Amino acid sequence: MQGMVSVKNLVKTFASKDETVTALDNVTLATPANRILTLLGPSGCGKTTLLRCIAGLESPVSGEISIGGEVVWSKEQGISLPPERRGIGMVFQSYAIWPHMTVFGNVAYPLEIRRTPKQEIRERVRKILDLVKLSGFENRLATKLSGGQQQRVALARALVAEPKVILFDEPLSNLDAKLRESTRQELRDFLTELAISAIYVTHDQVEALTISDHIAIMRGGVIVEQGTPQDIYLRSNNPFVVDFIGRANFLDATIKGYKDQHHAIVSCALGDIVCSAPSDLVIGTKVTIYTRPESFEVAPPSSVPTENEFEGTVTSLLFAGEAHEAEILVGGARILAKLKFHIPLKKGEKVRLHVDREWCRALNPGEEA
Amino acid sequence: MLERQSRLRMPLAGILIIVVGALTIGPVLMLVIGSFSKGIGAIGAFTTDKYVAAYTDPTLPKTLLNTVIFTLGAACFSTILGGLLAYLSVRTDIPFSGLFRVLPIVPMMIPHVLFAAAWIALLNPTNGMLNLFLRNLFGLSSGPFNIYSLGGMIFLEGMLDLPVTYLVISPAMYSFDTTLEEASRVSGASNLYTLRRVTLPILKPAFLATFTLAIIRTLAAFAIPSMVGMPGRIHILTTHIYRIISVGWSPDYGRAAALGLIVLAASIILVYLYRHLISEGSQYVTVTGKGYRPTVVELGRARYPLFILCIVLFCFLVVIPLATLIYMSFLPYSMVPSARAVSMMNLRNWHTVLRNSVIVRALKNSVFLSIAGATLGIVLSLFVAYVVVKVKSKGSALLESLSFLSFSFPGMIIGVGFMWFLVRTPLYATIWGLLVAYVGTYLPYGVRPLRSAFMQIDEELEESARVFGASFLRALNDIIVPLLAPGVVSAWILMACMFIRELSVSVVLSRPGTEVLTVEIMKLANDGLWGQVAALGIIMIGLSTALVIVASLLRIPLSHSEQ
Ligand SMILES: Nc1ncnc2c1ncn2[C@@H]1O[C@H](COP(=O)(O)OP(=O)(O)OP(=O)(O)O)[C@@H](O)[C@H]1O
Ligand SMILES: [Mg+2]
Repeated sequence: MQGMVSVKNLVKTFASKDETVTALDNVTLATPANRILTLLGPSGCGKTTLLRCIAGLESPVSGEISIGGEVVWSKEQGISLPPERRGIGMVFQSYAIWPHMTVFGNVAYPLEIRRTPKQEIRERVRKILDLVKLSGFENRLATKLSGGQQQRVALARALVAEPKVILFDEPLSNLDAKLRESTRQELRDFLTELAISAIYVTHDQVEALTISDHIAIMRGGVIVEQGTPQDIYLRSNNPFVVDFIGRANFLDATIKGYKDQHHAIVSCALGDIVCSAPSDLVIGTKVTIYTRPESFEVAPPSSVPTENEFEGTVTSLLFAGEAHEAEILVGGARILAKLKFHIPLKKGEKVRLHVDREWCRALNPGEEA
Repeated sequence: MLERQSRLRMPLAGILIIVVGALTIGPVLMLVIGSFSKGIGAIGAFTTDKYVAAYTDPTLPKTLLNTVIFTLGAACFSTILGGLLAYLSVRTDIPFSGLFRVLPIVPMMIPHVLFAAAWIALLNPTNGMLNLFLRNLFGLSSGPFNIYSLGGMIFLEGMLDLPVTYLVISPAMYSFDTTLEEASRVSGASNLYTLRRVTLPILKPAFLATFTLAIIRTLAAFAIPSMVGMPGRIHILTTHIYRIISVGWSPDYGRAAALGLIVLAASIILVYLYRHLISEGSQYVTVTGKGYRPTVVELGRARYPLFILCIVLFCFLVVIPLATLIYMSFLPYSMVPSARAVSMMNLRNWHTVLRNSVIVRALKNSVFLSIAGATLGIVLSLFVAYVVVKVKSKGSALLESLSFLSFSFPGMIIGVGFMWFLVRTPLYATIWGLLVAYVGTYLPYGVRPLRSAFMQIDEELEESARVFGASFLRALNDIIVPLLAPGVVSAWILMACMFIRELSVSVVLSRPGTEVLTVEIMKLANDGLWGQVAALGIIMIGLSTALVIVASLLRIPLSHSEQ
């Protein structure tokens, strides 16, 4: 796939005194144009390193990087463009606002380098500061701003020269929770409005799910899965991804047969249920299936038992505002279910639950969480 | 208990203000009074003659011009090189960067007089060894270098200030947030543009502060201007003043004071500027987020050439002077190393020096001044630091400013002030007079490290011990002393080192009977007795190196106090 930014077989190692760390291990990735791609993964998995390689702040060991169709780094072709010639914008985790310049000075800087006429600089800086709601702050020293304002100066500075791609390294992690939520929404609106390609690094899964068009999950220098937020959250078969994103109930199961190509019947603690599974598994194969707590619903009463219904005992109940979080004991397994708050539930009572076959999935066998 | 404590503290503060005031303001006051007095060394009727005489001296304009060139030149030289070394050691992948850690303690071991002596022996135009060598090599009629020039002075003084500028500018390099540079690169700026628009502007306050400090030190410099400048008839203000009080039959201390006061005023202003710049620089210290890691600048092909440059500087600063001194100390006269030179080596210089009763006395005096002076200085500093940190009153604030005042005082000039001061007491021309002057001039070097040591002692810790029934003395013994001891020892060693190699105050106050090492070395050098200079110098280096080694065996950081 040819994307706005594409990375092929990228390897990056760091050598220290006695060991070498492989920060990126053969990473291949492509970002669609005018979309937001998020790199998500646990701390130390190589997200920042990948971003910095794309920006040109770090030189890889091997592989190829191209931006907007132009190769900017390639081992084979011996190409290595410096950061300033890659046509990117970047927002750093620490914002990296220049303390000796005003807000105007900071934002005008990328244009000054490009020798834009003074009049035009003023015009464009005014516009972009308007966009990030910082009009009137032009002559403020950049260090005399709040965290949120600094973040927006950094954003304005990254956007002002209209880069092909804009890179974000955990841009919201220095904001408090409340501000983080509203800024997240604003940021998404900007980027969609400006139709800019963005690569966004975070280790906050909620942030990743809400802000991005695509998510790439990284682990130990490897991209383990890519897809839309829905794909990743609801339809992944990768144990690590399922465990890393959100919460899940894992159950041991055995394949008993196939309903159709994509759906198998398995026996597990919930009884015999239908779940989506890889199509080529032999009967008797041991698999792990998972369900998200949100995918359970209380079965309508007095109906004939349908597919994927089971009965359990409520062993604990937590009222969590928008829903009940119930722990239910069924067939010796404890599962967590998030149930609508208006349904009367009591600890110790029996409850019949239903889960759709699509939201009950077998993990790829042989992979580890 | 607490009440008795504060009742005790008040008079203590008062006494200290009087003592420290007498030691710091006293000489300045005497300098002012002396400059307006008739007569030559005694306080007489009011007159402005001294000012007229001092400022209409036809040689003054030239002297001032030399002073400006020398001061700015050496300050530029040391600031730029110090900045470069700091950058290389902190920010780049230069090999063996551990070597740089030695740099700051170098000046503790090689005193300025000896550094000057070694380089004069190498580069003087008549028989400098390096000059002789190059002359033979290329068949020149005269040596290619003349150390007795403004250029030579700037080179030597700049080298001597290098460890200090390096030390002052390194922290700014350490705290520099490298993402600020990266942000500039991704904004489209080249490396060079980034250096010009981001790196240097952000480091500017630190550079200016370092530059100011270098100017303050160069303005007070005496060893290089007197040993290198005077033979070449290049006079700067300090040597000009020195000539007024040392040449001819009637040293005119009033005229010296009249000139000295402007140097003093300039220094005080510069120290204020320095403090201001330091605080401005700290504004730029940016809060760095979690992802921050200092990126190492890869030097690439420039790595080894730059490393060699560092090695050369290091050789200039330590290896060459030291080797020259050792070599010279065994030779009857200067000669280029050769088989013949080796065959002529002997211990005569050492014998001559150690049999010279004046020099032996100077040696004893210097050791006495070093040990007694450091002890007295540290005891006084302890009291001052204690009151400054633990007593919060107007008095203690005054005491603090008083104890830092002499930071800005050029030793030569304050020496003249002490001279006026001591003449009126029985201490004049005694070793005790020197002792008082040393302690007064170098008090900040004791107070400063001890003040930070006291600040580390948690007040509550101290008080909790007293609440639990320990008496004040017990608290002192059980808690304060053990926590303070490392700071005290390191400050003591620092002061002892400074007193062993003290020159600029001594040169004014030393009299027959109260000779000190550095002044005697200077005299030997003036007579061209390089072999004896070297032998005596090595004894001196041995003494201060022994102190530094003791300090490092005790694992005491010495470098912080040089600032
Ligand atoms: N300059 C460096 N020198 C040595 N090792 C490094 C360097 N930079 C990164 N690493 C290592 O490379 C790996 C990936 O680091 P990276 O900073 O890319 O992680 P990350 O995914 O951004 O983590 P976080 O979420 O904590 O920011 C880590 O193991 C890290 O220790
Ligand atoms: Mg990171």
